[in-house]
Amino acid sequence: MWSYTARRLLYNIPVYLGIVLLLMLALRVNDPANAFLGKNANPEDLLLIKERLGLDRPFLVQYFDLLKSVFSLDFGTYSWANEGITVGRMLRESVVPSLSITLPALILTSTVSITIALISAFFRGRRIDRALMVLAVVGMSVSFLVYIVFGQYFGAYLLTRETGYSFFAIGGYESGLANWPYYCLLPVLISSLVAMGYDTRFYRAVMVEESGRDYIVTATAKGASKRKVMFVHMLKNAMIPIITRIMTTLPFLIMGSLLLEVYFNIPGMGRVLYKAIQEQDFPVIQIFVAIFAGLFILSNILTDVLYALVDPRVRLS
Amino acid sequence: MHRRLHWPQVALAALLCCLSCGCWARKAGASADTGQGKTLTLPIRSAGPGSLDPVRGSTTYDSQACSLVYETLLQYKYLKRPLELEPLLCVAMPQVSEDRLVYTFELRQDVFFHDDPCFENGKGRQMIARDVVYSWKRLADSGIGTRNWWLLESTILGLDEWRGQQNKNDSFDYDAPVEGILALDRFSLQVTLTEPVQRFLYILAMFQMSVVPHEAVEFYGETISRHPVGTGPFTLAEEDWKTSKSLDFKRNGAWREEFYPSEWMERDEERGLHLDAGKRLPLVNHIRFNCYVQDQPMWLEFRTGLLDYAQIPAENYIDCIRKRTHQLKKAYRDEGIEYHPVPLLDFIFRGFNMEDELLGGYSPQAKQLRQAISLAIDLEEFNNTFYNGQNIVYDGMIPPGLDGYPEGGRCEASYTGPDLARARELLALAGYPGGEGLGKIDFYTSLAANSQEQTEMMQRQLGKIGIELNAILLEFPQLIEAINKKKAPMFSFAWGSDYPDGENNLALFYGPNRSPGSNHYNYENEAFDRLYEKIRSMPPSAARTEIYATMRDMVLEDVAFIGGMARTRNYLSSARIRNFKPTEDFWNWPKYLDISPSTPAN
Repeated sequence: MWSYTARRLLYNIPVYLGIVLLLMLALRVNDPANAFLGKNANPEDLLLIKERLGLDRPFLVQYFDLLKSVFSLDFGTYSWANEGITVGRMLRESVVPSLSITLPALILTSTVSITIALISAFFRGRRIDRALMVLAVVGMSVSFLVYIVFGQYFGAYLLTRETGYSFFAIGGYESGLANWPYYCLLPVLISSLVAMGYDTRFYRAVMVEESGRDYIVTATAKGASKRKVMFVHMLKNAMIPIITRIMTTLPFLIMGSLLLEVYFNIPGMGRVLYKAIQEQDFPVIQIFVAIFAGLFILSNILTDVLYALVDPRVRLS
Repeated sequence: MHRRLHWPQVALAALLCCLSCGCWARKAGASADTGQGKTLTLPIRSAGPGSLDPVRGSTTYDSQACSLVYETLLQYKYLKRPLELEPLLCVAMPQVSEDRLVYTFELRQDVFFHDDPCFENGKGRQMIARDVVYSWKRLADSGIGTRNWWLLESTILGLDEWRGQQNKNDSFDYDAPVEGILALDRFSLQVTLTEPVQRFLYILAMFQMSVVPHEAVEFYGETISRHPVGTGPFTLAEEDWKTSKSLDFKRNGAWREEFYPSEWMERDEERGLHLDAGKRLPLVNHIRFNCYVQDQPMWLEFRTGLLDYAQIPAENYIDCIRKRTHQLKKAYRDEGIEYHPVPLLDFIFRGFNMEDELLGGYSPQAKQLRQAISLAIDLEEFNNTFYNGQNIVYDGMIPPGLDGYPEGGRCEASYTGPDLARARELLALAGYPGGEGLGKIDFYTSLAANSQEQTEMMQRQLGKIGIELNAILLEFPQLIEAINKKKAPMFSFAWGSDYPDGENNLALFYGPNRSPGSNHYNYENEAFDRLYEKIRSMPPSAARTEIYATMRDMVLEDVAFIGGMARTRNYLSSARIRNFKPTEDFWNWPKYLDISPSTPAN
């Protein structure tokens, strides 16, 4: 098992180095120092600012510098758009708000989707199955933005105006468990609602495929109750695609949900990255994207390892 | 034993759960009450300021935040329009020598910096003339990433040379003297200019010229941007600035005696803006700025009473304003909401690169081509379609309200469209009858909200005389780079005046300012340049206004641009807020705002 894990890690190192190289090249197509100085830039200042920001150093030196800071988790570089703040501090401050939304949303979405998918697969072809699938298709056909705009309008604004009480914040974020429902519950519900359509359809397809397997017939023939067949036998064997689905969403949990964070004024990583791109905040974009790429690769490795744990045949193949 | 699930119990538990869900609910508008006395909650329509170090700040949002904490030698009178300067950190307006080269300032002796750990015993010390000298010298220090050197460039005697020398050294010596800036004694300051430039006084009211104590810069180093230590009416602790979220300014309890202005415009009396005259400032204890990247949350929070004023987002304009009369709808008026349209010192234009092979040049044919293009464009259609008809379309580059703005916004020298017959005629004279042989013109514009649609309208309008546009939409930094490198034959751009003087806009056509400077048109006209050098040192007068008009007409005749247009920003204020007279030309006015005693959440 350890050698399998080490092999997966080794395979992915050149991939990561290539991604960081491409990232750095892409960010240097247009002179970042120009963006830093803005409309009143003059050539002398450009030179001085490049020197100050270390952009006058050879490309390879800058490349290894970035790799070093990523591998040592030392993000002491200062942001350009938020002066006086290091990228590391921005990361630290934005991870928790992002996770406050995305983690509960993932748990809620997965639990509800898997349950609905099981029910749907159980009643396969019957009216309840069709009704659930129609709902899922309708749900996934509506844009995320529409959910957010309407959710914010009806859930936060109109409810407050009509009742005189504010159940959900229109925007903002305060840390602490007591503040969580007020600031985060509505975005979590919206996020779950959006994801549920896709996930339910996917999990149902997995369950339906599993329900036709021989071991299900055997379990049924041996007299296992339908509930036991579904929740014990079928669910366990459907875990590989479920794990894949959940694992691939893990990096996105950390990076947050950009639209939700922007509309609900939640200072998470998605919003920070969005702002950084808008403001050409070069150090922040560079480090955030490098981290995201790293997380993505790590989650892929983790998925592979979990596969191997759940199904030892994977290791052999 | 296998326990059975009892569905009625589950349903009851779920119901109880749902009922208890409401326990976190808050009384509407309650978040405005922070328990810190009078609190204003105001919006910043972006992710907020990037830096609270005046020399590194450059955006409106930096200005909004810096202006509460820091102060400048001069400021604008809050209620006077057109804008007028008055002393802020000085006892009086500076004494100016006869040749208008030497300015002598007498500083107030009751100005103290905020209490801060950077000072001995944490107690803010008295501001003296050397602090002003130090703060201005910081603008010259390229090593600290100043973005505002252009404000003092070629202005103060010896400063450019001093800067060149210091930036070559390993460290910047702030104690090294500059010929043109002298602290005569603790509270007197003398500035000698290289030439008598009129804009100098306006510059002194810009937030980038704020006074900063050297102790704070040395103590906080790179993080001074997060630790503003000024002399202003409010303070901002580091923990009160939540990046991209909010800034909580608290009243500076030790602020000197400053009073609400006793000069106002006649129409201000109707709105009771004169009633607080003589009251000690600031009038509130706490100002919270919330940052909004998207307009919807800002608008909904304003409508819920969580914000004391808001700008009307474009998509909500027709919900609250009657388009025909530009008046606030009754439903809003009934809630005590007031409408404040604020015209901006704005110059929106489509520019030509005068060095471009096809569109540039000063030959009769080249001018006729540009004149034809200008005559085919209908700016009023843009105004009605994209700006609710609220913009002011005018001839020239000097926005409304400033000397040099043509009477009624129109002048004879302009080739203002739409006049398609004349446009076709001029196009034929230029050698391109019906646009034949012209080819597609590259038009560079930024990827802003409705640029795509605006470009399509322009393509349609020019198509009527047979001209085709090839639209190139770029992110703003790339657009700037393309223009600076003279790659864009035609481009769309806007210029917000740095100070209320038409000279600022005329400088956009001054030869030595050509790209990468602010003369993006690369306009060259010797007669224009000579006049510009002359007006730069002239105080406001009828003679100067006449020269402004001559210069404006020169550029209009050459058609270096199509335009201009000035936007109007639409503000709504809640029934709660008092003394509200918004402007975007300066940002220290929240110190004059108050909360109506008859409204809740005070």
